[in-house]
Amino acid sequence: MDFLANLFGSYWPAVQLTSWTLIKIIAIVLPLMIAIAYLTLAERKVIGFMQVRIGPNRVGYFGLLQPLADGVKLLFKEIILPTASNKTLFLLGPVLAIAPAFAAWAVIPFDATLVLANIDAGLLYILAMTSVAVYGVIIAGWASNSKYAFLGSMRSVAQIVSYEIAMGFALVGVLMCANSLNLGKIVMGQAGGFWHWYFIPLFPLFIVYFISAVAETNRAPFDVAEGESEIVAGFHVEYSGMAFAIFFLAEYANIWLVCALAATMFLGGWLSPVPFLPDSILWFLAKMGALVFFFLWFRATFPRYRYDQIMRLGWKIFIPITLVWIIFVGAMMQTSLGYLFH
Amino acid sequence: MLENYFPILLFILVGLAVGLGPLVLGKIVSPHKPDSEKNSPYECGFEAFEDARMKFDVRYYLVAILFILFDLEIAFLFPWAVVLQEIGLAGFLAMMLFLLVLVVGFVYEWMKGALEWD
Amino acid sequence: MIFNDFIFYTLAAILLFAGIRVITTRNPVYAALHLVLAFFTAAGIWLLLEAEFLAIALVLVYVGAVMVLFLFVVMMLDINLDKLREGFWDYLPMAGTIGLLMAVEMVMILSGKYFAPTTVASKSADYSNTAELGRVLYTDYLLPFELASVVLLVAIIAAIVLTLRDRQDSKSMNPAEQVLVKKQDRLRIVKMDAVVETPSVEDPKADKEKS
Repeated sequence: MDFLANLFGSYWPAVQLTSWTLIKIIAIVLPLMIAIAYLTLAERKVIGFMQVRIGPNRVGYFGLLQPLADGVKLLFKEIILPTASNKTLFLLGPVLAIAPAFAAWAVIPFDATLVLANIDAGLLYILAMTSVAVYGVIIAGWASNSKYAFLGSMRSVAQIVSYEIAMGFALVGVLMCANSLNLGKIVMGQAGGFWHWYFIPLFPLFIVYFISAVAETNRAPFDVAEGESEIVAGFHVEYSGMAFAIFFLAEYANIWLVCALAATMFLGGWLSPVPFLPDSILWFLAKMGALVFFFLWFRATFPRYRYDQIMRLGWKIFIPITLVWIIFVGAMMQTSLGYLFH
Repeated sequence: MLENYFPILLFILVGLAVGLGPLVLGKIVSPHKPDSEKNSPYECGFEAFEDARMKFDVRYYLVAILFILFDLEIAFLFPWAVVLQEIGLAGFLAMMLFLLVLVVGFVYEWMKGALEWD
Repeated sequence: MIFNDFIFYTLAAILLFAGIRVITTRNPVYAALHLVLAFFTAAGIWLLLEAEFLAIALVLVYVGAVMVLFLFVVMMLDINLDKLREGFWDYLPMAGTIGLLMAVEMVMILSGKYFAPTTVASKSADYSNTAELGRVLYTDYLLPFELASVVLLVAIIAAIVLTLRDRQDSKSMNPAEQVLVKKQDRLRIVKMDAVVETPSVEDPKADKEKS
């Protein structure tokens, strides 16, 4: 230690801070990676059981090593660079898809004290990061120089931006209740048992948020961007090997992210549902896991929406619902019943 | 305040590394055997018969434009929602007027059929 | 503070590089992407000025929305680059004059007393930039705020008027109509007397056809 301190001289505190922060970041990123890897297995298992199949069960006990095997397989597959593609952008696409999906986790509070960056505009930051995520899709679709990829990416982008509006409006409702953009404060605003959680006064917004989240992540039943029966695989049709794997990881990272956000904003984050049980990070993980399960359940249950139906749902149903509910909540807050919404 | 943003800066860099790392690793360990058939863009086995970058339905632009406008609206709603308690009824009415004007635009859009996909 | 300076100069360098690439690169998609980078680094610089809300809103609105539209346009329109470059030398004197004018204006403003460096008052721990903005935006600056809604309304209407064309060849369906369909609209029950056709047993040919 002393040797290092001498080596860096006056920069030592800065180096110390940086490395300490990096350790903390890795403490978030590594479990997240494992969660992503096992979500792919969980998806196959859950859908398998729902369809009375077994799902992967060859690699490791209960198929538990399957994600690892998939990863290794993809690692050794050639990364094909299509002719006439823009090589740099082609490789930049997946990086831009996954970076925001990870970076957004910087402000998620896992616990009352367990948060990496306790910034005041935490929610705004997450929204900005998710809106940056469309660049991965746009760039991938355009750089591939393939018609299917281009079609898929344009569809996907139009869908993502449409649902981002509904999502943003739904989050405005939470802000009205919580009076803060800081995610930790939003959770603390819901303290005192599950009847204080925001999903009760904001129930329509919670539903809109969750369905929008499914559409944002391009998941079934809103997965027309992939639409394997019509445009083969959408924007990542030309991707192979690790480049494809990164898109895949980004999708699952985004699922975890939107579920973490839903758990924080509407379901009281790390707070325990009843006062006699202690608050803990385990509650947060449990809520997140339960919401993620819905994603898998949706995929096993619902047939795919048509594209015009998706756009209609986003613009003509969700936006009016959220607007009306925001105005309703705002109006109620001006009356003596306002306490119901805090 | 700024010290809180330092971890975010680092996290964005780590995020980029999470994307770049596997790509570089994949490039190193995976085989590289280019082949003109393999590298041609996928088109159900046909030769690609025109440029993939085609003109698109104008509706996609319209969605993008409307998205900008609604996104701005959200940007205005965020600070309002945060301070709604403090600014009280006057602030609430101010935003209602703002929303009213925009709802006029939304209704116009709806009636004109800009939200129809066909 | 040294670290802040370091971040500032790094961001400024990236911003300048991105800005220059926006106007020098030949491919419009690359230009748009460099503009995205420019906005992103500009947001970083605003953040250094402790304008938290504005910085993130810049990313949210410009990077997340405006540039998506730009990219849509440059990606989907087949822009002929040679045509765009045709009038370059003709426009150069005009553009140069305007650029110079802007530079002079900026120097005048930045050297004026408004932008003289002042020490920023240190904020308390729970200071919220967003809340501060909200407190003044909806009270003191009410009129500009309401006018913003009118500007947005004009933009909505203009966008629709300029771009929306009814397609004549579309075979769209109206879900509301589909849901409201009644049995009477689709199905007509016609009363008919039951007639039993007696099969002709004598004809062996017909029998064969049946089997």
